[in-house]
Amino acid sequence: MSATEEQTSGASLAPPEPAGFGVVLASVGEPFLFVGRELAAMAHVLWLTVFYAFRRPVRWSEVWRQAFEIGNRSLVFIAVVLGFLGMILIYQSGFQAQRIVGDLQLLGALYLQMLFREFGPTITALMLATRVGTGIAAEIGSMVVTEQVDALRMNNADPVHYLVVPRFIASVLMTLVLSTLAIVVSFISGMWTAKMMFGVNPGTFYNTSFIIWGDLIIFGMKSLAYGIAVPIIAAEAGLSAFGGSEGVGWATTKSVVNASLAITFLDFLLSGFGYVFLFS
Amino acid sequence: MIEFIDIYKAFGPKEVLKGVNLEVQKGEIMFIIGQSGAGKSVLVKHLVGLLRPDKGRVILDGEDITDLSERAFYRIRKKCSYVFQNSTLFDSMTLLDNVALPIRKHQHVTQRRARELAMEKLALVGMQGEASRYPADFGDGMRKKVAIARALTLNPEFVIFDEPTTGIDPISANIVDRLITDLSERLGVTSIVVSHDLRSIFGVADRVAMLYKGQFVLDGPPSAYRTTDDPIVQQFINGRPEGPMEV
Repeated sequence: MSATEEQTSGASLAPPEPAGFGVVLASVGEPFLFVGRELAAMAHVLWLTVFYAFRRPVRWSEVWRQAFEIGNRSLVFIAVVLGFLGMILIYQSGFQAQRIVGDLQLLGALYLQMLFREFGPTITALMLATRVGTGIAAEIGSMVVTEQVDALRMNNADPVHYLVVPRFIASVLMTLVLSTLAIVVSFISGMWTAKMMFGVNPGTFYNTSFIIWGDLIIFGMKSLAYGIAVPIIAAEAGLSAFGGSEGVGWATTKSVVNASLAITFLDFLLSGFGYVFLFS
Repeated sequence: MIEFIDIYKAFGPKEVLKGVNLEVQKGEIMFIIGQSGAGKSVLVKHLVGLLRPDKGRVILDGEDITDLSERAFYRIRKKCSYVFQNSTLFDSMTLLDNVALPIRKHQHVTQRRARELAMEKLALVGMQGEASRYPADFGDGMRKKVAIARALTLNPEFVIFDEPTTGIDPISANIVDRLITDLSERLGVTSIVVSHDLRSIFGVADRVAMLYKGQFVLDGPPSAYRTTDDPIVQQFINGRPEGPMEV
């Protein structure tokens, strides 16, 4: 037998193709297996990140650089989006409230509560998932497909410790800072809209009487959860990139989809927690 | 000695390696050739734990390293270094710091000592005059030379060269070839070279193995490639678009 013929006799390790009813079972089970694998991969990256953040020296110069990238470079984007959102929300809610109850005295108080509980941290996190998360996924994904991550491993540098930990710490800090800024900008733009459209006095609009400790706690919990989720999901997407530029594109798409889903899911969970344990 | 025993590797539905067997003797210059995407780089990455086989064993100097942990592979990566296809220099570091990185990470020496050792390796490839410049200032050939210097910093017993002469000028390619020969002759370093470069293959290889459809079709001295009547090997060596090989 020639060498060429010999190679065709190589046994395959691929699992056998399902047949008959097996096809139906496989098509039902595959999405669950896929989600399970994705969650396991994210949990693995999270575990390694937390482990290295506490057990290995942190490259603080890189943390500050990433904090600048995540924080300062997102300032205008978040301020503009949240500023306009504040105007739209106050205009719509003020318009409806005027039609139903005719009294806008509590508009500012309710709006501030809503900003702390929902819009401040959640909209900020969605913005960061698109601007920062995709950046992290693309950067790490490019390093994977150009073998730079392999080169790090060859040089005794763990990619999670070297690449993910600085972005993780910077993201946790900056998500909290940017969410706070988002609340301030959105509240001020809402206050201006209330004054211009409905004649509500800023002194009346600025009303913190509805804000309780639970609102501050849920704001902190959401900011922390989103600050953790976005870089971990983005890094996992980047680290799982393969092939060439197509793989990097796939990683960024995966990052933004998974991060948006995670933020929505975490928002649901934490809001439920808040309503059961903090606001009642 | 390096042994790959019955290695299987698939990426999703794509089976890249289908029961590959290969032995590389100490001090040997072994070339692995084959079409792009044939699995040459995939095979050699198993030796340093950058990929793990689906089935099969990898033996290095009598030790089964197949199932070592990532951390345990650091020991293997000290004696077995890798020159990547894309050079993979870190753009934020000078050439000197790029070369000093493995020393700083693998050995407990001062920054100054690491840089001294790195400078010696840069001199080996004629890049010592550019040590303080950044990778972005150079073309592929120069970057590749620095990547080779980096791979030699820990005085490895085994070096994997992944397409070391691709994209560089003939003079630089000859320098790289001479470096590979010197490493083998003077220091007894074992080299595995993934290449398409026929000039290098017939110039410096002790042995050449050709990978096609997940298995080796021919493994022997370079002269065997001139005399074989295997149509697939002949088509590849002569670079003919027509023939039995699926392009």
